[in-house]
Amino acid sequence: MRSALSKSTIYILLAIGAVFMLLPFVWMLSTSLKAPNEVMAMPPVWIPSELNWDNFTEALAVAPFDRYFVNSLIVTVISTIGELVTTILAAYAFSRINFFGKNIIFAVLLGTMMVPGEVLLIPNFVTLSNLGWIDTYQALIVPWTASVFAIFLLRQFFLGVPKELSFAAKVDGCSEFRFLWYVMVPLAKPALITVALLKIINSWNAFLWPLIVTNSQELRTLPVGLSAFTTEAGIKYELLMAASTMVVVPMLILFFIMQKYIIAGVARSGLKG
Amino acid sequence: MDVHLDQLTMQFNDTTAVDSITTTIKDGELVSLLGPSGCGKSTTLMLLSGLYKPTAGDIYFGDEKVTTMDAEKRGIGMVFQNYALYPHLSVLKNIMFPLKMQKVPKKEAIQQVMEMAKLVQIDHLLDRKPAQLSGGQQQRVAIARALVKKPKLLLLDEPLSNLDARLRLEMREEIRRIQQEVGITAVFVTHDQEEALSISDRVMLMNNGVLQQENAPQQMYRKPENIFAASFLGNPPINFLTLHKTENNTYVIQGSSQTLELPSMKWQTHEAFQMGLRPEDLYTVPEEEGLFSGEIIHMETIGRDTLIRLQLGDVTVRALVDPKSRLRVGDRCSLAIEPQEVHYFDPKTGERLRGGNDNDAQANLEKHA
Amino acid sequence: MMLKPTWKSTLKALLYLLPALLILVTFNIYPIVKSFLMSFYTNYDFFKNIINERGFSNFIELFQDPNFIQALQNTVIFVIGVVPISIILSLAIAILLNSKIKFSGLFRTIYFLPFVTSVVAVAIVWSWIFHSDYGLLNYFLGWFGVDPIDWLTDPTFAMPALIILSIWKGLGFNIIIFLAGLQSVNEQYYLAAKVDGASAWHRFKSVTLPLLSPTMFFVSIISIINAFKVFDEIFALFNGKPGPANSALTVVYYVYQKFYEEWEFGLASAAAFVLFIIVFLFTIIQLIIGRKFVHYQ
Repeated sequence: MRSALSKSTIYILLAIGAVFMLLPFVWMLSTSLKAPNEVMAMPPVWIPSELNWDNFTEALAVAPFDRYFVNSLIVTVISTIGELVTTILAAYAFSRINFFGKNIIFAVLLGTMMVPGEVLLIPNFVTLSNLGWIDTYQALIVPWTASVFAIFLLRQFFLGVPKELSFAAKVDGCSEFRFLWYVMVPLAKPALITVALLKIINSWNAFLWPLIVTNSQELRTLPVGLSAFTTEAGIKYELLMAASTMVVVPMLILFFIMQKYIIAGVARSGLKG
Repeated sequence: MDVHLDQLTMQFNDTTAVDSITTTIKDGELVSLLGPSGCGKSTTLMLLSGLYKPTAGDIYFGDEKVTTMDAEKRGIGMVFQNYALYPHLSVLKNIMFPLKMQKVPKKEAIQQVMEMAKLVQIDHLLDRKPAQLSGGQQQRVAIARALVKKPKLLLLDEPLSNLDARLRLEMREEIRRIQQEVGITAVFVTHDQEEALSISDRVMLMNNGVLQQENAPQQMYRKPENIFAASFLGNPPINFLTLHKTENNTYVIQGSSQTLELPSMKWQTHEAFQMGLRPEDLYTVPEEEGLFSGEIIHMETIGRDTLIRLQLGDVTVRALVDPKSRLRVGDRCSLAIEPQEVHYFDPKTGERLRGGNDNDAQANLEKHA
Repeated sequence: MMLKPTWKSTLKALLYLLPALLILVTFNIYPIVKSFLMSFYTNYDFFKNIINERGFSNFIELFQDPNFIQALQNTVIFVIGVVPISIILSLAIAILLNSKIKFSGLFRTIYFLPFVTSVVAVAIVWSWIFHSDYGLLNYFLGWFGVDPIDWLTDPTFAMPALIILSIWKGLGFNIIIFLAGLQSVNEQYYLAAKVDGASAWHRFKSVTLPLLSPTMFFVSIISIINAFKVFDEIFALFNGKPGPANSALTVVYYVYQKFYEEWEFGLASAAAFVLFIIVFLFTIIQLIIGRKFVHYQ
């Protein structure tokens, strides 16, 4: 398409789009640092005349975002580690061991990927209330410590590791289990990082599930806390934007650092179609 | 340590990859397992390593029966065709890996690694990752890793076939040197006859899972025990002529009208047999002295040799001739061979009847007009 | 050669699979079955876990509920509003990004930003942008002489507001997939077409589009399926309500209402089951048509 549009046209079109994409973030940051009287000014004030960091402390005073942050961190970290462990073990079995029922089990698991998670909401809620787990960390974490998609992704990666490597390790006196951790896992690092990052993003941003299985404020994760905050903060948009910033910024930082892996993971999930 | 195989058999579903092999590999010996791809040589090696378990038969390391013992407990070293180095570990850590598995104290382990690295001459590359090494260097690392734990048996699975021709020659000699220096019993799998014949004390030739012949290299070449052995070894390959009896001691070459007379011998009760003639044993002679003659349809000179292809009716015969001879494509040419160089085989069983360096092979071959 | 399965290897494999299977069976496989069964519980006491009656009445009631019909309608409108625009925009942007310009990495990063951020957070930001008196959007529209619009309180505009937010949020994902698809198209096709004297538009129509059709198809189906599952955006944008006068009530929101607000587990399960059937149909379409008609390289 190069000759259809001139270079400068391409830049202008992309720049307009980029402004549209960035504007909400810029507006969020800008509002979060404004003094209350500038928030509703018309025409809008783009750059606050004074950086009003108090909005953040005030938001923290209204709702325990520090607590929400810790909750989100706990949930994200543990469910990510859990998913990595279950995924590594399962992917190894599916890629390196020949066993009865392998294809059936694998097909059933792949089949479950077709079922939208929303459908599982009600029975899972019932299961958790039977376990007495409603309004606990377990409820936020345990159901999310395994993922068929992750198993599938890692299995594909494991299948690409030459068989001779496991032969060599065996001859070298390495048991299968140690081989998995000493050789396969270090080799699969890029794939594992991708799996972990997609998991972290999903876990951090998850809303419907934590909304349903938690009641007490102490167990709210950031998105749930933020959603409740819209009622608590009323129409104080500078506080809402400060709170939103606290939710959004950690993932933005993560994205800027690990961009390569995240985009590769998304692209890979797309090419699987 | 002697390694003894007793009716070793391996089946995959319906195919028998290794068919009842019985043999003994002597202590300190380098034995080649030679054969075409799919002949079962690699499977035999996998059985020796313990990575595969046989469906029947037994393996003994010395007096110990190891048939069902797992690979990690057999105390063997193994080198693979694709080197199978751990890509994420440095050369040092690759070589140290087996020692780490044995929980050898780090200081001692590093010392042993250094010794081994010196032996295979890669002590200047210890910090590198495998991807930063050439194929030959990677193979040296693989050998060091296999030997570092002082195994009782070294297994090499086509270790040279990923290398280019020149390097292959060099590494071949290196493997031999290292094996002799360490004095380890070694089994070397290859599909390359030249490699097998040059490197080993003894060659075991396999086909379709069956051990065809085991001999010292030269002996196998000089005295193939069946058609397969004769045809697998030798480059350019051996010529086969099928002979049919017409009358007493007179035979016609199948596919041509030429006949030849053979002296009477006890194995000549056969109505037909196959005669194997190595190209390098044939030589040109004046028409009347030749065993057979034909038209030269192709000539090529490779280095010091001139290879001609002779058309006799429907069959072609390859021969290496004196490059100084003035032969040209289209010429008629007669070839002869010393009687003791002729190999005779039964066409039905493929078994050797007589020939090669048999002492009684003083048959007088003459062309019969 | 893979060694044959034995009971020993099966036992070993099951040990490796145990943790994953334990979780997946409990929270993925069992609930699929259970959800199906629950949709037939017509008289269910959740607190005592007693099923008094089973039958089809949930489904009958569901399709007689004007709210559910509206939820279905809204969902379809949402899908039609989001998917085509999002695909056209993201394809166009992907093609621009793929045209060997400088900073394409930077642009890609910017377009992808919304994907990594919390739906709830950005929906709240957008609700501020949609503010009728002080919102940015009405301010910009004011430049063109458009009177302030009550984006979030007028039932006519609630759905467009939701659609704008969703397109913005999902654009980056589609762009990445399209970029991956474009990069897998062999350069030689373009060169060949160029040598043949094809114009840029012609090259796009006869080279890019056909070769990109598997990607297009995949993106469409994924977008449709995701659009059918929309919930977080609505909850955050309209502050815990399905829009003014149920104007943004979607199927998942309906499930949430029946289940979590009204404790109608049977009805909610039946609605969830309808959602599953819809998603399942699209998945099947993807599998069948994808294999048959789409031009693969």
